[in-house]
Amino acid sequence: MIQAESLTKHFQDKKRGLIKAVDQASFTCNPGEIFGLLGLNGAGKTTALRLLSTTLKPTSGTAKVAGFDIVRQSLEVKSRIGFLTGNTALYPRLTADEVITYFCRLYGLNSGELEKRKKQIFDTLGITEFKDTKVDKLSTGMKQKVSIARTIIHDPMVLILDEPTVGLDVITSRGIVEMIRDAKRQGKTVIFSTHMMEEASKLCDRIAIIHKGKILIIGSLKELQEKTGEKDLENIFVKLVGE
Amino acid sequence: MRLKQIKHIYFKEMLDTLKDRRTLISMIVIPILVIPVLMFGIGALISSQVQKAEEKTKRLAIFGQENAPRLTERILAQGKFTELTLARDSLEQALQDKRLEVALEIPANFELDLQKGDPAGVVISYDQAEVKSELAQDQLKKIIRQFEEDIVEAKLKAVNLNKESISPIKITSRNLAPQEKMSGFFLSMFLPYMLMILCLTGAMYPAMDLTAGEKERGTLETLLVTPASRLDIAAGKFLAVLTASFVTGILATTSMTLTSFLGMLRFDDSPQAASLSLSINPVSILLVVLLIIPMACLFSALLLSLSLVARSYKEAQSYVSPLMIVVIFPAMVSFIPGFEFQAIHTLIPVLNTSLVLKDVLLGTFEWGKIGLVFLVNTGYAAFGVFLAKQMFEKESVLFRV
Repeated sequence: MIQAESLTKHFQDKKRGLIKAVDQASFTCNPGEIFGLLGLNGAGKTTALRLLSTTLKPTSGTAKVAGFDIVRQSLEVKSRIGFLTGNTALYPRLTADEVITYFCRLYGLNSGELEKRKKQIFDTLGITEFKDTKVDKLSTGMKQKVSIARTIIHDPMVLILDEPTVGLDVITSRGIVEMIRDAKRQGKTVIFSTHMMEEASKLCDRIAIIHKGKILIIGSLKELQEKTGEKDLENIFVKLVGE
Repeated sequence: MRLKQIKHIYFKEMLDTLKDRRTLISMIVIPILVIPVLMFGIGALISSQVQKAEEKTKRLAIFGQENAPRLTERILAQGKFTELTLARDSLEQALQDKRLEVALEIPANFELDLQKGDPAGVVISYDQAEVKSELAQDQLKKIIRQFEEDIVEAKLKAVNLNKESISPIKITSRNLAPQEKMSGFFLSMFLPYMLMILCLTGAMYPAMDLTAGEKERGTLETLLVTPASRLDIAAGKFLAVLTASFVTGILATTSMTLTSFLGMLRFDDSPQAASLSLSINPVSILLVVLLIIPMACLFSALLLSLSLVARSYKEAQSYVSPLMIVVIFPAMVSFIPGFEFQAIHTLIPVLNTSLVLKDVLLGTFEWGKIGLVFLVNTGYAAFGVFLAKQMFEKESVLFRV
């Protein structure tokens, strides 16, 4: 579960002055639910997700992730989330197996658990055959599989995904979509950001539209349609953002 | 800060670093090779080239042979020259075209002047820009001087004198420098410098790779979302860079010790051996290692801090290069003969180490001075580590992409 309350993040930029990247954002994502953060590039999606994953500290407001406070209990939060973005890359000089072993250790899995969990995930995702190949030598699809393995190796309760399908081909992004649906089936909380209307309407149980750091509307597609009187998500989005 | 996390991060960074060819070259190959190459390679190359040139017979043209038959006979009898017949006016061109190495002109009144006791002149033409030609000139001069000495000796004998009677004063110089000071004089000048620079370059590539390199590849954020605290990450990375720096320093010291022993074996008691052999014993090796530690810490921390600010590997290189220059100059004081160590020098990092390392290698160190330098540098190192920690805590630095 994720509960954000007036989550705010300001940056000081030399040229542009004060930037309110995330401004008083409040929302809740429930277990077994896929929550979408829909917005243009630069709307504040990445910052919001970085705040939830505790890599950035909020200027004000806070959030609870899996029951832990993102400011005061950041390590507790981190060990319960799986974080994936289009550009969280893997170590090119290490093999797939070395990469996953490293993350298992950082998540505190002991040697016994580690081997069992690795085998299970490698078999499910089809990594076993190339597990001893250097990441550098893997195809984009193979790399994505290793990234997925890296995200879920510690069986996190919450998945935070920042534009996870950006730049991926149809087959590869299907792997991500499958992971998201799997997580929902297992009753995990999933929050993911996207700027693609189709992806959001297809996958999300609830959608929040974010613009210039502010959340403009939250609800299921049906609720959004009712509130705005528009049918198509793209039209809803344009109507709200007004640009 | 949790030791377990630091350990995991450290071992992964070491594994990653050891798989990086650039780091391996700067950390292992360079320190092992650079010292022996500097000590033997260059010297040996020059002397072998000179020897080769000396052994070769040179082409010589003599103008006016008939004016000095005895001298000419003497020159040609040595077998060092092959005679070349040449028109006098084509001499300059022939030298330029390298058709000969040296030419000798003997004037018509040569023998007559000798008999009269007047100075008899000869002219040697050669090309100073050519090693072979210069050597030919030397050899030719030597033969003429011998010829001259024989004439002088004969003249002295005629008036009942010997050679010693024309140089009545004999000067003997005695070198009272102790053996340790003499030995290693040459090496003690550039080894401290080499050690400092190698400690820096050994840490350079891993420091840039583990920070700016990770940002560039997008792996830093992957690490930041794991339950490892910023401090764990900073400590793990710092220790990995420190290991690289320290290993480079240790390998350089080992290579230096071995080269020094080999040098002594090769040159035996010759003056070269004295200037190459160092005061190397367990105590001096231990002191070298001890003095390197805080320097390696300081370099690693500074390099990490600087390259963490950079967005890319390339940008990191432009931040790190000035540091290289900042280190090179104080490290170079070991080159300055007779540089007096003053109290203020203790406070200047790199310079202080360079100076005490020189003393250690010469076997003329003072314990107090070493202790003081070690303490001062440990202070600087602590400051460096603190700075690196601050950098890793800063969002604006970590997410500067």
